[in-house]
Amino acid sequence: MVQSTLALGVEAVGCAAFDAGIKGAFGYPGTPSTEGFEAVERLIHKALDGRVAQWAANEKVAYDLAMGMSYTGHRTLVTMKHVGLNVALDAYANSALTGVRGGLVLLVADDPGMHSSQNEQDSRRLAEFAWLPCLEPSTVQECYDLTFRAFELSEALQVPVMLRIVTRLAHCRAALVRREAQCPTSLGLVPEAAIQNWVLIPANARRRYVDLLEKQPRLMAETTPLNRLVPGTTRRGVAMSGMGRAYFGQLLHENPDLAALPRLEIAAYPVDPALEQAFLAQVDEIVVFEEDYPVLEERLGLRGTVKVRGRLDGSLPRTGELSPRLLKDALGLAASTGKTATSLELPIRAPRFCDGCGHVDAYEALQEALVQVGAPETRVFGDIGCYTLAAQEPMAAIHAVVEMGASISMAVGAALAGQTPSVAVIGDSTFGHSGLPALLTAVDSGVNVTVIILDNRVVGMTGQQPSQALDHVERMVRGMGIPDDQLQVLLPVPKQHDANVSAVVAALRHPGPSVVVFRRECIQSIRRGVLKDHDRQERERCTAEVCS
Amino acid sequence: MNASRIHGIVLSGVGGQGVLSLAQILLEALRRSGLQALQSEIHGMSQRGGSVHAQVCYSKLPLTSPILDEGGADLLIALEPLEALRYVSMLRLDGHLVVSEEPQMDMAGYPPLDDVYAALKVVRGAHLIDTEDLARKLNHRQAGGMALLGMASRFLPVEDAVWRDVISQRFESKGARVLEKNLEAFEAGRGLIHDPVGA
Repeated sequence: MVQSTLALGVEAVGCAAFDAGIKGAFGYPGTPSTEGFEAVERLIHKALDGRVAQWAANEKVAYDLAMGMSYTGHRTLVTMKHVGLNVALDAYANSALTGVRGGLVLLVADDPGMHSSQNEQDSRRLAEFAWLPCLEPSTVQECYDLTFRAFELSEALQVPVMLRIVTRLAHCRAALVRREAQCPTSLGLVPEAAIQNWVLIPANARRRYVDLLEKQPRLMAETTPLNRLVPGTTRRGVAMSGMGRAYFGQLLHENPDLAALPRLEIAAYPVDPALEQAFLAQVDEIVVFEEDYPVLEERLGLRGTVKVRGRLDGSLPRTGELSPRLLKDALGLAASTGKTATSLELPIRAPRFCDGCGHVDAYEALQEALVQVGAPETRVFGDIGCYTLAAQEPMAAIHAVVEMGASISMAVGAALAGQTPSVAVIGDSTFGHSGLPALLTAVDSGVNVTVIILDNRVVGMTGQQPSQALDHVERMVRGMGIPDDQLQVLLPVPKQHDANVSAVVAALRHPGPSVVVFRRECIQSIRRGVLKDHDRQERERCTAEVCS
Repeated sequence: MNASRIHGIVLSGVGGQGVLSLAQILLEALRRSGLQALQSEIHGMSQRGGSVHAQVCYSKLPLTSPILDEGGADLLIALEPLEALRYVSMLRLDGHLVVSEEPQMDMAGYPPLDDVYAALKVVRGAHLIDTEDLARKLNHRQAGGMALLGMASRFLPVEDAVWRDVISQRFESKGARVLEKNLEAFEAGRGLIHDPVGA
């Protein structure tokens, strides 16, 4: 009998990548993609067969690492959340032109409903934009099977393949049947005759763009077998993908009458227009169930031959996640009756800083320092991480949070408009991710900007992954051109409050750029002993090299 | 259980209470009982002391949806009374609710406790447990979660031996003493529900 294990959808992707014989996995943490990398990382660490799992400083770096590995002929997985793909978009879009050597699969986890993200952009649009294939599973087992398929497709078509999942599937735990693991093998380096394909100077890029467009029918020939047209007996049809497919499939088990509806089940893009045409010829009206943007809905609506219902005509909400209830309503199925909800008002229990978190002490010092310099109303530019929680009342210590690394550049922009003092708050990992170039510009601008780096030594919010900035923050700050006397490293504890306030006051008063690092390890990381080995090794190294 | 429909459990509580851990025990127990089972959870910011909830669906039918519809849950397991109230409407009319009376009040605007208890007691099929008192009696600070699981077990199609196996597997790495305390809490909870309906 085949053994099954329990796995999250996103973990199933990692398991499949391992079993498909990848040489390495790369990524940057981001909910709900993080556990995909961690699953393959665990397998690689256990295998001890020379494979690598490496977190990168940001998603673009991760993608480029994967491209380099592919160049050597090895299979590779790269993982990120949807907004991370914005950071890696330059690499992703251009990799369509170079193509790949070893199979390259990009796991992107979208977050419809924005459970832990700043937008609900749809990565399928970016695959379409780059002219690249995208596979979209709807169950945990499909996460595994389609990842396997994605590696085969990537090598057959010599392009990167996106595997798009959403939060509900990423964090759905179910039985998973794995295949026998393949050993990593290499197709060999990009052959000499193909080197020019990887050199995107205009003459080559023009040729490669034509190649990519000419490849589209072959892409469709490969994706079409993963899509399915199921005939029915009514003139009302259903088109669906991802969780739409999962929810409809469930309703079908409970309401066998739904089998009368012709249905178009999409698991791979691009979708063959002939398949769409064949579906539309069977119906007068359809409803479309898909997560995030109305991608299929718009395509099917463009044909103008049938009435298309979905997010655009109000049959489904324009934003947010699908749910079984929304499908039932759109299909005219009776809703089930449950118990009566309480009439008691239930205030929201918002996430908050952990008890004893160093970020709280840092923010308290910053807020008091702003009072002392007579600028308590200063708008502070924040960034992405646990410390974003400070935007909530009653603390309300930061007043803008946009995307990774934005805090420093926005504070400089505001300073250039005359805001004094101008303050940015950014975490250590976010600083390493995309704060560095911003700090370089801050130094070049010469304006009065105070950059507060909240250094908790890990990527706190996503589960205390190692921060690439660990042990490097001061050197990076100095390297960007901040002079020694404008770099202060403080310990955010209540006992140090007064000294910390004075130090921040000095930074705020300095007419040029200055950096204040508040460093105290994340208390969750301490509890789990995440850095115990690292710190012991550092102590031993210090004893051996410096102190002897 | 009804072979022609999906059954479901909703779990709720506060980040750090072990909601997801309980959900995984349930998932494994149902799966070992020969049922199709899926679990859905939401991570991320909710780990930081916010509301956390998970769902477990199980059925004799194939399962693809990890989400229950409102009015689709047979059982609600709540580690905190206010967090229970948020999900009462997820329960079927004949559904049951097992809930800890121990409040986590470190939030703004927590309603008066008596109002919360009163709102829970009017729910048909509600079973409240003073987990604080139980923890004291068992000399086991974290007995609450396992006791709730024990109560819940009376409504679920899982054999005693399977529960023991799954719980043992879960705690075996933490030593015999921890396992024993958890099994004890489970049994204590199990003993609180007599004559379950609809199991």
